[in-house]
Amino acid sequence: MGKAIAIEHVTKRFNDEDERALALEDVSLHIEANEFVSIVGRSGCGKTTLLNLIAGFLQPSSGQVLIGGEPVGSPGPDRGMVFQQGALFPWLTAIQNIEFGPRNRGVPRRQRRAQAQELIELVRLDGFERKYPRELSGGMQQRVAIARALANDPDILLMDEPFGALDELTRSEMQLELLRIWEARKKTVVFVTHSIMEALYLSDRVVVLSPHPGRLRAEVAVTLPRPRQRSSQEFMAMYEEIHRAIF
Amino acid sequence: MKQQRAFQRNLIVSWSGVIVVLVLWQLANTLRLVNPGVFPGPLQILDTALNRFPAADVLDHARISVQRVFFGFLIGGGLGMITGILAGWYRLFGKLIWGPVEILRPIPPLAWIPIALMWFGLGEQSKVFIISLGAFFPVVTNTYKGMISVDPMLFRAAQSIGLRGPRLLAQIAVPAALPDIAVGIRVGWSLSFGSLVAAEVLAANRGLGYMIMYGREVGEVEVIVYGILLIGLLNLLTDFLIFNLLFRRQLRWYFG
Amino acid sequence: MPSSSDSSPRRAWIRRLRRARPAVPDWVYGLLTVLVLLGLWEYAVDHAWINAYRFPPPSKLARTFEALLERGFPRGVTTDVHFKATLWRILKGYTVATVFAIPLGLFVGATPLLERAVTPIITFARSVATLSLLPLAVAWFGVGEFTRVFLIAYGCFWIILTSAINAVQGVSKVYVFAAQSLGASRRQIFVQVMLPASLPRIFAGMRVALGMAFLVIIAVEMIGTIEGLGALIMEARNFYRTDVTMVGMIFIAIIGFTLAKTLAWLERVLLPWVTDLEEVQR
Repeated sequence: MGKAIAIEHVTKRFNDEDERALALEDVSLHIEANEFVSIVGRSGCGKTTLLNLIAGFLQPSSGQVLIGGEPVGSPGPDRGMVFQQGALFPWLTAIQNIEFGPRNRGVPRRQRRAQAQELIELVRLDGFERKYPRELSGGMQQRVAIARALANDPDILLMDEPFGALDELTRSEMQLELLRIWEARKKTVVFVTHSIMEALYLSDRVVVLSPHPGRLRAEVAVTLPRPRQRSSQEFMAMYEEIHRAIF
Repeated sequence: MKQQRAFQRNLIVSWSGVIVVLVLWQLANTLRLVNPGVFPGPLQILDTALNRFPAADVLDHARISVQRVFFGFLIGGGLGMITGILAGWYRLFGKLIWGPVEILRPIPPLAWIPIALMWFGLGEQSKVFIISLGAFFPVVTNTYKGMISVDPMLFRAAQSIGLRGPRLLAQIAVPAALPDIAVGIRVGWSLSFGSLVAAEVLAANRGLGYMIMYGREVGEVEVIVYGILLIGLLNLLTDFLIFNLLFRRQLRWYFG
Repeated sequence: MPSSSDSSPRRAWIRRLRRARPAVPDWVYGLLTVLVLLGLWEYAVDHAWINAYRFPPPSKLARTFEALLERGFPRGVTTDVHFKATLWRILKGYTVATVFAIPLGLFVGATPLLERAVTPIITFARSVATLSLLPLAVAWFGVGEFTRVFLIAYGCFWIILTSAINAVQGVSKVYVFAAQSLGASRRQIFVQVMLPASLPRIFAGMRVALGMAFLVIIAVEMIGTIEGLGALIMEARNFYRTDVTMVGMIFIAIIGFTLAKTLAWLERVLLPWVTDLEEVQR
């Protein structure tokens, strides 16, 4: 089961060279347990920074990020992360990639192999367990990446534009897949994307950040039942709303 | 300001390594941990550099060495480039020439010494021959690789503008292959240089390699080490020049 | 040359003809050229265009090849002795270099401060032409086996060291981040991520180092020994046997080629996951 995330008055400042880049300014956001939240915004609005703060790769300059009431520590398996380019370890097969987390936690071989096999079936890659990442298509690689993150039974799933490198058709397919997986293994999901359509299709709530400095611009609750019709009136209306908020 | 401080810090760290080594080396010598007659210390070598050999002589030897490499490199590298370009452009030629080149490539340039001596005698030609062999193979291999990996879309684009034949070759193929050619040149130069040194050590009467052998003959190890260090420095310098002049400048579009 | 878009009927006919012919593998062309050149060579010597002494014809070389395999050269030193001597020296020097250079390189590469301090030294040591060290090594260690192995080790060491350092530094940060978010400890990250990710580039360095080892050994064997391929071709010259020199060079080519191919095969076996194995640059 997932946990709630509380982002309270978070500011993040980078001291890069002489520039004081204010990546995020006084951002506050509450994400309920098992809620699917997307973060959209133009380049430079700090969406990836926010994700990294939740993941624990960065610490806020001021304010705090709490997960289940506890402040965020260093990166760990409780916050599973899926990167844009998959970041699958090329020297391991699909199933070995998935087993990576459990293996390092000392889970015995038979058990972790069984768990990994389950996940392979969940992401519908049966038969491809022994393949190396280079032998898999982009969409397949992202499935493995998701399975790898899920193998540690995280409270939260953080996804940084995971479908950005895929072609349009595969992307739509993967969106459906992600929803199916999420229904099967409920977690809190924070999903960063460039695509408003994608955000609306997937999430319970869409959060808009504006750049320079990164601030919370708008929040749109998406109450439509899934699977959603991208062409429906309500959908298009929300699209317009978000589009306006961004531009 | 912070960037400057970081840069200065890096500089200090880089030099500290060298200084530590020099200090330890000199210490080992001063404390007679090693026999100075066999393993001279930096100060001894400095003394040799300043007093034993007039700078003019050393420069002369260096000049001769560099001239040899340059000449041999020009021949071998030039031939290599032409062959590589033609082999990449006219595929049939490429396939035909591939056989002899692949067979001869594993043979180190120095293995040609006996043949070179036989064919060219003990003179300059045999040395230049060896050096040009050192340059030829890396240059031809990398040039060929560069030519055949040029993105075919570039040709399509140029053809649709109206370029044909030799102009296509000169204005599209060669420039596009330049990064690989540059790598070949760099490797070829370092191989030529290495071959020169060996060739001079084995048989020469002038040049830096000869200087080393002279040191050996008169039993002065400092001269040997001095020569070795000079060669190392020269190698470093020439590679640095090639890298910065050739690579960075001409290939700004690739690296920058 | 890129294919032109000429659509004249004659060109179309030629294209159809070309496609009808079964594809000829590339190596056949190479073989063809070599055979033709050998044939020309033989012919030229037969008709006294070129001196048979300076350019022994292939027929003579073939006979010498056989004779060498049977009786060896110089008297009493059979070819397997030469092969073994050369290969054994390479193996020793190369192994020593690898065993020290890889762990050291990994350590230095993982420690940025150390790397910055040590890089100028390495760059310089690498610039020192290995063969220029021959007189020095002889002064220190004499003209024996140790000197030869030492020089090979020296030449290979710096190359492998540099590639190991670069390999560690070149590991894509994303892998480290992924491993961190999967809960791996620092030690686990080093062993399970940095090491495998570094292997391809280390192997590339090992390929270059092998070429260097081969280069050095052949040159070094030309002095102070009569066993080894370098010694073989040098000795042949002393006896004015150009044919033996040439056959010796063929041996060298064969061994060099085999060594390179063996390493490439090893790389494919150990690293089945690598996407592109760059060809050696020499």
